[in-house]
Amino acid sequence: MSGGSSLWVQRVFLLAAILAAWEACARLVSDRWISSPVAIAGRLAQWVAGDLWYHLAVTATEIASGLAIGIPAGVLAGMLLGRSVRLAAVFRPFIVLLNSLPIVALTPLLIMWFGLGMQPKIVLVAFVSFLLMFFNSFSGARAVDDELMDSLELMGATASERFFKVVVPSCLTWTIAGLRNALPYALIAAVIGEMMLSRSGLGHLITRSAQQFDMTGIYSALFVLMVFGGLVNEATTLMEDRLLRWRHLETRGG
Amino acid sequence: MPVLRLVHPEPAVGPTEARRRKIGLEKVAVDFATRGKTVRAVDGVTLEVPEKQFLALVGPSGCGKSTILNMVAGLLAPTEGTIEYDGAPVLAANTRVGYMTQKDTLLPWRTVADNIGIAFELRCRKASAGERRERVAEMIDLVGLGGFERHYPAELSGGMRKRAALARMLIYEPETLLLDEPFGALDAQLRLLLQQELLHLVERRQMTVILVTHDLEEAVLMADRVVVFTSRPGRIRATRDIPFERPRNAMELRFRPEFSAIHEELWNELKDEFAASIGGERGAK
Amino acid sequence: MRNRNAAPKPEVVLAQQLVFLVVLLATWQFASGRLIPAFYISSPSDIVAIVWKWLADGSIWLHVGSTIITLFMGYAVGALLGIGFGLLLGLSPRTERLVAPFIAALYGLPKVALLPLFVIFFGIGLVSKVALVASVVIFLLFYATLAGVRDIDRDIIQSMRLMGARSDEITRKVRLPAILPWIYTGLRTSIGYALTTTVVSEALSSNRGLGFLIEYSASQFNSAGVFGAVVVLLVLSSVIMIPLGMLERRSRPTRPSR
Ligand SMILES: Nc1ncnc2c1ncn2[C@@H]1O[C@H](COP(=O)(O)OP(=O)(O)OP(=O)(O)O)[C@@H](O)[C@H]1O
Ligand SMILES: [Mg+2]
Repeated sequence: MSGGSSLWVQRVFLLAAILAAWEACARLVSDRWISSPVAIAGRLAQWVAGDLWYHLAVTATEIASGLAIGIPAGVLAGMLLGRSVRLAAVFRPFIVLLNSLPIVALTPLLIMWFGLGMQPKIVLVAFVSFLLMFFNSFSGARAVDDELMDSLELMGATASERFFKVVVPSCLTWTIAGLRNALPYALIAAVIGEMMLSRSGLGHLITRSAQQFDMTGIYSALFVLMVFGGLVNEATTLMEDRLLRWRHLETRGG
Repeated sequence: MPVLRLVHPEPAVGPTEARRRKIGLEKVAVDFATRGKTVRAVDGVTLEVPEKQFLALVGPSGCGKSTILNMVAGLLAPTEGTIEYDGAPVLAANTRVGYMTQKDTLLPWRTVADNIGIAFELRCRKASAGERRERVAEMIDLVGLGGFERHYPAELSGGMRKRAALARMLIYEPETLLLDEPFGALDAQLRLLLQQELLHLVERRQMTVILVTHDLEEAVLMADRVVVFTSRPGRIRATRDIPFERPRNAMELRFRPEFSAIHEELWNELKDEFAASIGGERGAK
Repeated sequence: MRNRNAAPKPEVVLAQQLVFLVVLLATWQFASGRLIPAFYISSPSDIVAIVWKWLADGSIWLHVGSTIITLFMGYAVGALLGIGFGLLLGLSPRTERLVAPFIAALYGLPKVALLPLFVIFFGIGLVSKVALVASVVIFLLFYATLAGVRDIDRDIIQSMRLMGARSDEITRKVRLPAILPWIYTGLRTSIGYALTTTVVSEALSSNRGLGFLIEYSASQFNSAGVFGAVVVLLVLSSVIMIPLGMLERRSRPTRPSR
């Protein structure tokens, strides 16, 4: 694209204009509902010097631990079940049913089981990411090209060699697509868990501010979440580009 | 396990003497069920391939040539009849054969070099990384893919993919080769070169080969015997021994009068079938 | 061999599915109160009893109705706005390029976090929940519509013009056929997210709806009530989503257009 840098200049101007208008509204009309950029910046600075890192660490830990359990388990279960014609046929309706259920609806149950620490959120993140990865790996394993499997079998590859050399890599596209869903969803799940009942984490920051009608606090917490979510998305995109080079070549048509 | 090239002695090349039966098809028929209809693809095929023979199958498109290779490879069970390999019925994937399928089966997430070397990553013929690299380099040279080692299959032309698939199969020198249109997408010069290379390798290693091709000239140049199939359902229409000596020089062979005679004889068998097959398709519409 | 491990017989599969279901329920029933306290996992018979009771006294319909109304209102509002913005920005690519990073940043924000804000603005009733659901759907349809607009082939439009096609003919024959499949896919994709958001918003701040019922039962430590409400939700969600072929959709390996 030509004029890439001037585009960014325009964007900075646009952002500055929006913030200025916001600030003006707050000063001239009322900052009761909309707070103001200056107040939010002040609050953020205060948090950065204070307990923001603690809450961030709690949310990040919940997400990381949950994903560390959910992703490998989901990927493996999906691939194994997907490769077995018989098991896949038997479990298909149950999988479809489970897939249509809004899993985060189970949050209250998990809180009831595990109390209000990090545990229920970790379980929730693990559960959500397990299912998302499972569905994708399952479909991926069903879609493995049988001719590739045959060609390796003729070379004398054992079942486990075929699994690791054909099923796993050809599921990778699907796994990455699953991660595209699972990573943002993990953040959503953790925040929901924290908003429902919690004493820490970014979700808690929001509900705490809301209970005190502290608009500046709400907007500040939303800002932090937005940055966090953006980082998660960027990380996913980077990883995707790394791992799927061959596939981008393929879809571009060689 | 040692690499095959170290095991085989140099062959004593001679005329086709009575040899052990390597592959046997006995009254084989195959039905395919598609959209509620059953189509007979292959019918009553009885065929023997002695050890070390180079057999070519020719016939109109859709007559069941690939289907026969699939059965010899153990990827497809016949509806009727039996398939034998080395005297035992073929009941599962036949790991004694190397099979180059019509559509290449390169792994799209591996580079050309990694695709070609994959056989040596398997437990059954594991080789060290160094040896693997050396063999891969040799094969890449053989099929003329130098400079494309690090490319992915999606970055190659159709003909280059064919060559990579050929290299991937030849690298572990299976005792029997099943080749389905191996030179289909190549230009004439490259085709000649690769035909000659393949002949060398097969003659040196004394491999048994079944080659499927649309190119009658290729069949006559390379094979010890050519089998002509009828249009669908595929039956054997004619069988012709090719009496040329081995090792062969394909470049020189094609200018001999005997070559033209055999070519013409087989062409006469084949052209009726082409006509029948196209007539059949038209009639079906 | 390929034709030997063909798909198993449907009757056999059905029988195995029934066996699995029966074994699962029987194990659950047996374990409840014996191996694991019924407080945690309730039991199939208790769950059936409580759902039956809800159906008998009709109290469940208030919650089901509330969930359905929130879901579809939020879905409709969000879809209309999303498609509208998508068309608007799709047709002015310069503006779209200018604001793209801002939209992407907002898209990355977990929308549920907006609920407290909406509750402060609109109160605890229907409006705040509808707003939240709409805020989720709007982005999905925005991106879907935008992808559809980009999918329009300029060359085809050019050649249609040369053939003498009028602008409305081009819209009917080229533009709409290019955009509609994307919007349709977006509509299918977003219903699942809309349902999830509805239930979560009900659980977080409401006094009716299936999400509320789950949250309320949990706060009363009534696990049968929790599972009962989940079962009703499962029925509702499969009635809405399974006909849409959600499994195929959600697991397709195309990357979301952004
Ligand atoms: N998996 C299948 N299902 C249904 N029909 C099939 C299948 N495989 C092959 N056939 C049919 O069997 C017949 C023979 O197919 P085959 O691929 O063996 O032909 P071929 O001789 O290799 O043709 P070509 O020279 O075009 O490759 C064809 O008519 C085809 O339609
Ligand atoms: Mg064929």
